[in-house]
Amino acid sequence: MTRFMVRRSCLALLSLWGVATIVFFMSKLIPGDVARVAAGRLATREQVEAMREKLHLDQSVLVQYLDFMKRLVHGDFGESVVTHQKVSNDLLNVLPTTVQLVVLTMIIVVAVAAPLGIVAAVNEGRAADIAARVVLVLSGGVPMFWLAIMLRWSLSLRLGWFPISGTNSVGMAPPRVTGFTVIDSLLFGTMGNVVDSVAHLLLPAVALSMPFITTLARIIRSNMMTAMKSDFITFAVSKGVPRRRVVMRHAFRSSLGAVVTIFGMQFGWMISAAVLVEAVFSLPGIGSYLYGSITSQDTFAVLAAVLVIGLVFIVTALITDMLQRLLDPRVRNAPGGAS
Amino acid sequence: MTDDGASVVSPAAIGRSIGTAARRALGGRRFPLLDRIAFALVVLLVLVALVGLFVTPHDPFMVNTGQAFLPPGSGHLLGTDNVGRDVLSRILAGAGRTLLVAVAIVLCATVIGVLVASAAALMPRWIDESVMRACDICMSLPSLVLALGLAASLGPSMMSIVFAMIATSWPATARLMRNILRETLTSSYVEAARTLGMSRLRLMRRHVLPNSLDAIYVQASMEISGTIVMISGLAFLGVGAPPPSPDWGSLIAQGQNHITTAWWIALFPGLAITLAAIAFGLAGDAVRSAVDPSSRRS
Repeated sequence: MTRFMVRRSCLALLSLWGVATIVFFMSKLIPGDVARVAAGRLATREQVEAMREKLHLDQSVLVQYLDFMKRLVHGDFGESVVTHQKVSNDLLNVLPTTVQLVVLTMIIVVAVAAPLGIVAAVNEGRAADIAARVVLVLSGGVPMFWLAIMLRWSLSLRLGWFPISGTNSVGMAPPRVTGFTVIDSLLFGTMGNVVDSVAHLLLPAVALSMPFITTLARIIRSNMMTAMKSDFITFAVSKGVPRRRVVMRHAFRSSLGAVVTIFGMQFGWMISAAVLVEAVFSLPGIGSYLYGSITSQDTFAVLAAVLVIGLVFIVTALITDMLQRLLDPRVRNAPGGAS
Repeated sequence: MTDDGASVVSPAAIGRSIGTAARRALGGRRFPLLDRIAFALVVLLVLVALVGLFVTPHDPFMVNTGQAFLPPGSGHLLGTDNVGRDVLSRILAGAGRTLLVAVAIVLCATVIGVLVASAAALMPRWIDESVMRACDICMSLPSLVLALGLAASLGPSMMSIVFAMIATSWPATARLMRNILRETLTSSYVEAARTLGMSRLRLMRRHVLPNSLDAIYVQASMEISGTIVMISGLAFLGVGAPPPSPDWGSLIAQGQNHITTAWWIALFPGLAITLAAIAFGLAGDAVRSAVDPSSRRS
């Protein structure tokens, strides 16, 4: 186990170094004068020269690379040319919104995908299975940014059932303590604050959940189908255990391990896919930040955000792998599982 | 295999393999109706994409502000946009810039992936291992965001998206291809040929690659659907071709600004993406079950 942990952590460190290196070389691909791009479009000649010196652009690529890595290790991601804030501060401010969105999305994904997958598996080949699969094909094909626009247009703008954009309605924002509006509302606000905060996240979360529902439900379905055909299920049925209990307690539980793994891996995907949805709802998360930086051609802020999402992605994959080992003895003790 | 082995994989072998797959796909009695509909849709979409590059009912770029914001109906079947361009014509013109680009991306990524994987398989073991570990690391990174960063660095153009997508998707393809090749390498006819003293290069080119083609098609066809959605997403975020490009992602981005007054500008391109993603997705599944019947019910 320790051996695995060490190996896995080394791989994660290697991945972190890999993503940092890739981002560094992306910044080398920017056409034209990088110092001018980094200083912003309105910068004076002196400011451009100061930026050139600051970024060591007058020195060799190796020196620049080492300097870049040194600054990263110290948590310095550079400055935005638009807000003139440290990018790391900006990102810390917007990260809670994205995390909230992704957590709500995960809840929706499980709440929809688990019943769909179970019903489809239990009724294999029958009408319910086919209906479930049609739903999954649709949710897998619909582009989430378009669905987000359509949900916002129909339910928010036309019917007025949901808020149009942002994290809170005017005057409904809870005091900012943790940055997580839902948690802040629960701790320091009224019930009205909580409802308002969740309502603002609901439609974006529904749009974001679509492709993940398809992936998860398909995996649950095929795992459940394998489980339902295995000996321990036949045994439970012949022992006289009620069908509902067989499905839920025996078959579903045994397929939960894969669910945890897929889910952990999807957390990172959701954070990156949130870019598309946040841009539509102007949710001030890391995705909107990225979108805003692209629009204002703040390339260095874009790259910093890419780097942060990469970090979150790698770290969650690491945690998932570890958790899965701790939780599921079958994985822990699998032959050849040490690698 | 009667080819002379002049190229890495002879065109004859490819032709035969495609022929077999197509025959299995279209002629087989056990082929369900749904799969045939999916194939028909894909063929139709590709035809529309090709024709749409040259011929559309109206000029997709002609600005006519007197005709702006016309709702769907007479004259303009799907309405007009904020500067009076015909929405249907723009969707048709954008089909090629979305679907054909997606197919091209998958094709390039697959070719690069196959080349890297087969080169790695021929190299000494430690090179093979380190190339595959490097691919693993690339696969552990979020490709959407990397593609976004790469395309943003290169500046807004369709080529940025194409380059970014190929650059971020080939490692995954190479990894899969290496697994497929490894599987073929262990089959008994390859063992037999190896025992007869065939060189590794010749073995790869005459036996392993031609016999892995089926699995490679399956992989590639399954990728297209996701690629369509992804390039539309990137174009939507604004790293793709600048206006007035009619690719579907950009159309939605343009329509988003006018959603309250003219819902049709954003609605129809999105339906087109959904339809294309589903058609290509189902066709990919169909190709897979044609090649590997055991996967049919999963």
